Amino acid sequence: MTPPVSFRNVSYRVGGKDILRDFSLDVAAGETIVLLGRSGSGKTTALKMVNALLRPSAGEVMVDGRPTTSWDPIRLRRRIGYVIQEAGLFPHVTVEGNVGLVPRLEGTPAAAIRTRVHALLDQVGLPPAQFAARYPRELSGGQRQRVGVARALAADPPLLLFDEPFGALDPVTRVELQRQFLELRRRLGKTAIFVTHDVREALLVATRIALLHEGRLAVLAAPADFLRARGEEARAFLACLDPQAAPP
Amino acid sequence: MTPDLAREILDLTAEHLVLVGVAMAIAVAVAIPAGILLTRRAPLQRWVIGFANVMQTVPSLALFGFLIPLPFIGGIGKHTAIVALVLYALLPVLRNTLTGILGVDPAVRESAVAMGMTGRQLLFEVELPLAARTILAGVRVATVTTIGTATIAAAIGGGGLGVFIFRGLASVDSTLILAGALPAALIALAADGGLGWVEKKFSPA
Ligand SMILES: Nc1ncnc2c1ncn2[C@@H]1O[C@H](COP(=O)(O)OP(=O)(O)O)[C@@H](O)[C@H]1O
Ligand SMILES: [Mg+2]
Repeated sequence: MTPPVSFRNVSYRVGGKDILRDFSLDVAAGETIVLLGRSGSGKTTALKMVNALLRPSAGEVMVDGRPTTSWDPIRLRRRIGYVIQEAGLFPHVTVEGNVGLVPRLEGTPAAAIRTRVHALLDQVGLPPAQFAARYPRELSGGQRQRVGVARALAADPPLLLFDEPFGALDPVTRVELQRQFLELRRRLGKTAIFVTHDVREALLVATRIALLHEGRLAVLAAPADFLRARGEEARAFLACLDPQAAPP
Repeated sequence: MTPDLAREILDLTAEHLVLVGVAMAIAVAVAIPAGILLTRRAPLQRWVIGFANVMQTVPSLALFGFLIPLPFIGGIGKHTAIVALVLYALLPVLRNTLTGILGVDPAVRESAVAMGMTGRQLLFEVELPLAARTILAGVRVATVTTIGTATIAAAIGGGGLGVFIFRGLASVDSTLILAGALPAALIALAADGGLGWVEKKFSPA
């Protein structure tokens, strides 16, 4: 079976700087692969290649067996959900309009969009009667992020990309949203690529963790194996789990 | 006030409104699309904004004068006055169109693109609605300025309320000057208030 996403020897250079170097990775259907790494390690860059916001300088990213460069970018993006930090919601559009955006672009009839949006808002824990007509500025950070997740799911895309979606939230809200993420994954079984710099979050949501270090793939392991990983960068991340064990 | 003066005030006010209306319609029709185009052509921004800036620094009476000898757009009369007014009105509208669109939160723009919006959808459904308030503020400033500047049109035979002012200056008659200046000020106030009201109908970016 062709993997839904496959990075093949991908490099990305900008201004003489290698941001991603010879990065290869196959994402299996239904899994949540976490790209873990320090800030600046190239996670966002790798993610943005999947929905063709960036083009590789060398190598290729295959989506459903076709290089992203040969996809019509609009078609490609409409079948990939994308959730970013602070959600990137349209401030001039209601929650309902934000969530229904992609189905509307796809020409789905208004009544069907409405039904879909209300079902999704229920799924992410925002009762539509209370939230559908609100504007993003009338929501808390956690609520905005829930709307962002609902928006990414609206057109039922087979693939989801998350770029530090919960990074700006308070710890309690973050844990709530992580739980909800797991719950949605169990229910929907979609393929997801999830970027984070938080090793706890990685261990919690990943089926496999890909650790990036200065643009290279340093470790690729299931969470249980990642805990025993030996490389220096992996150890640096694992040290965050247990502050007492960290070197002085 | 004699009935003749009242009648003339009405006529010249109407003429003034036409000058301003036509000039602003042209300026908006040129500057908004040009501003949109410029947001897609970063290297051109400096040049075009520079040109519009220079236009603003030319003293208005001089600009009207410079236009007179030019073929096609020049000469004595209304159309020369309108060309000059358009040149003045371009900058605020152009600059605010640029500022408004470039000021859209990059995360919002990126998520629009990532959702699979086309360039046209991004422009009409995201950038313009979010920039509308800023663009309208530019239109308001340009309109208020144009209402004042249009009084100089009379110097090159363009008509409008400036006719009173120049006549009053020549005959040292302050009533006549007021007959031109007061309606012009009232129009400017009304335009400022009206456009400001429309502006507030749009959501802040
Ligand atoms: N357009 C660009 N021009 C120059 N440097 C860039 C550009 N985009 C990203 N970078 C740099 O590339 C590195 C990796 O960026 P990114 O993929 O965003 O990292 P991460 O998401 O892991 O924090 C960073 O050092 C960033 O400053
Ligand atoms: Mg990043």
